[in-house]
Amino acid sequence: MERKEVAFRIYRYNPQVDRQPFYDNFKIAVERGITILRALNYIKEHLEPRLTFRAFCQAGICGSCAVRINGVSKLACTTQVWDELTGSGDDPILVEPLNNLPVIRDLVVDIDPVMEKLKQNYSWVRPAIAEGEMGQKEHCVSDGEFEAINAATDCILCGSCYSECSMTEVNPRYISPPVLLKAFRMNNDTRDTLGCERLGQVSGDNGLWDCAHCYKCAEHCVKHIPIVDGIHRLREEMFERHMTRSEGARHAQAFFDDIRSTGRLREATLPLRTLGVVKTLRMVPLAAKMGMKGRTPPFVVKPVPGIDRVRGIYRRLEANRAAKQGGE
Amino acid sequence: MKYAYFLSCINESMTKEVDLSLTRWVKDLGIELVNLEKGTCCGGSNLDYVSPDHFLVINGRNIALAEKMGLDLVTSCSTCLMTLRRAKQALDSSPEKRELVNGHLAGEGLRYNGTSDVKHLLWVLTEDYGLNRLAAKVTAPLWGVRFAPFYGCHILRPSSLLGRDNPTAPSSLDRLVEALGGSLVEYGSKNKCCGFHTLLVAEQQSLSMTGNALEDAVRAGADYIVTPCPLCHTALDAYQDKALDGRGVSRNIPVLHLSQMVGLALGYSKEELGIDRHMIAA
Repeated sequence: MERKEVAFRIYRYNPQVDRQPFYDNFKIAVERGITILRALNYIKEHLEPRLTFRAFCQAGICGSCAVRINGVSKLACTTQVWDELTGSGDDPILVEPLNNLPVIRDLVVDIDPVMEKLKQNYSWVRPAIAEGEMGQKEHCVSDGEFEAINAATDCILCGSCYSECSMTEVNPRYISPPVLLKAFRMNNDTRDTLGCERLGQVSGDNGLWDCAHCYKCAEHCVKHIPIVDGIHRLREEMFERHMTRSEGARHAQAFFDDIRSTGRLREATLPLRTLGVVKTLRMVPLAAKMGMKGRTPPFVVKPVPGIDRVRGIYRRLEANRAAKQGGE
Repeated sequence: MKYAYFLSCINESMTKEVDLSLTRWVKDLGIELVNLEKGTCCGGSNLDYVSPDHFLVINGRNIALAEKMGLDLVTSCSTCLMTLRRAKQALDSSPEKRELVNGHLAGEGLRYNGTSDVKHLLWVLTEDYGLNRLAAKVTAPLWGVRFAPFYGCHILRPSSLLGRDNPTAPSSLDRLVEALGGSLVEYGSKNKCCGFHTLLVAEQQSLSMTGNALEDAVRAGADYIVTPCPLCHTALDAYQDKALDGRGVSRNIPVLHLSQMVGLALGYSKEELGIDRHMIAA
C-alpha cells in the first residue's frame, strides 16, 4: 500500500476566544485511498482534539462534512487525499470552512441562512389533495413525470453550491442556488399546486434574475446536479406564465426582439428597455465617458444580410407556438 | 488554417478593438478568418428564457452557416462560445431537436449536421496553431511585463460543455502569456465571475464582483489584466472606476484583450491594436 507524509493546513477559528482566524499545520502519514475526512479524524484523535468539524454518514449522503479543500467546496468524506496533492505532492492540502456562511468554529459553519431562505421561498410541495383527504388518497407520480426532477431530488443540502455562488459572495441576501434548485424541483413536481405563487416569491428582489450564470454552483455540485439548468427552467417558466414585468425578463425579451429586428443586439437601447427611463439616466455619465473613447454602441443597427430568413424563422416558430397553445 | 469567424454583437459595437486587433495579426500566422456575415446574435444566454425553440433554431442556423462553408466556427467572446456550444450539445444529442431545427433551415438551403466544431480564439492559438509555433513568430517579446490572466466564466464553466481547461486551475491563457514572453502573477480571482451579466439588474453586487477581481490583480502586482472575453473586458475596463470607488486601491490597472496582447508581441503598436480606445489608459 502506497503511503506518504502529507501536510495539511487547516483553518482554525473560535470566535469566542480568537481575535481572528489562523491556520494550523499538521503532517501525518497517509495511505493511498484515505479520504480527507479520515485524515481530519486522525488529526482530531491523535494531534489536536479541539479541531472542530461536522461529519456523519461518511458515505456522501448526509452532506454535513462539506468544506473547502484547496479552495473548492467538496465533501470531505468523498474526497481522496491523493487527488488533492499538488505541486510535487509536498504542498499542504488547504482545508477551510464553506464560504458565504458564518463560521461557528473551525470548519463548522452556520447553515441557518440557507434554511431561512428555504423557508421563505416555499421549498416544499403544496399538494392538490385537500387537507382532510391526506393519508387517504394517493397522488401517483409516473416515471416520466419524475424524470424532469430526478436529478434535482439528489440535492443533499450540503451547502457547496451556496459556498461557491458568485452572487451570494457579494450579496448575502441573494436567494442562492440551492433555494432556486428547490423552487425548480417543486414547480415541476406534478403533485404541487403552488407554481405561480412560488415563482412570484423567488423572482422578487435579490431573486431569480440576479443569478450571474457563472455556473460555479453546478460545476462544484457534489451530486453533479445541473443547477443552472434548473434556474434557466424557472426563467423559462416566468415567460410561459407571462410574468415578464421584471427587469431581468425585459432584458431577456430585448435579446429576443433584437434578433428578429436586425439580427444583432441593439446595445445602445438595452439599458432603457431593461431598466426604464429613470435608472437609465443614471448611466448617462458613464455613457458620455465611453462616447469620448468611441465605445458608445450605435443607435442605428444595420440588419445582418439575410435578416428576412431570420424573420421567417420567427414567424414560423410563432405560428407553431400559437397553434400549439390553440390545441391545448 | 481557415475558420468561420462569429461576429459577436459587443465586438461590433462597444469593443470594436477586438476584431480590429485580431485582423492585424491573423494573416501573419497564416490563419484565415471568414466572417460569418449572415450569422446573428447568439442570444447572449438570454434568448432561451423567452423561447427555447428560438434559441435552438437561431444558433443551429449560426452553426449550420459555418457547416455550409465546411469550416469550424471561431469566436472571440466567451459567452457566445458557451451559448453556441450549448445549442450544439443539445442538437448533437437529440435527433428530434435536429429535425426541428432543420425543418426551419431547409428554406435557406442550410442543414445542421453537427460537423463544425465551435471554438474560442484562445483554443485556436493554444491547440490548433500551437504555442511553440506562436512563440517563434514573436518579434516584440513581452519580457518583464506582469500579466494577471482573467479567464472569466464562460470559457471554463460548465466544464462538461467547454472541457478544455480545469475550471479550478485553468492554464491555457497562462501558457499563452508565457509563450509571448510575459510573466504571470498568481492571484485568486483568475477563474471568478466579472459580474458583467448582472450589471444592469444588480449593479452594485456586480460591481463588487468586478472590484474584487480588480483589487486582487492590483494587489498581486500585475501590470495588466488580460482576458479572452470582451464582456469581462467591459466590466473590468469601462466599469473600473465605479468598481474600485471607495476601495482604497492604489492605482488603476489596464485591461487587454487576448487579441491585443498577441498583437503587441507580434510587433504592432498600441494604436494599431486599439488599446488607446480603452477607458483605463495602458
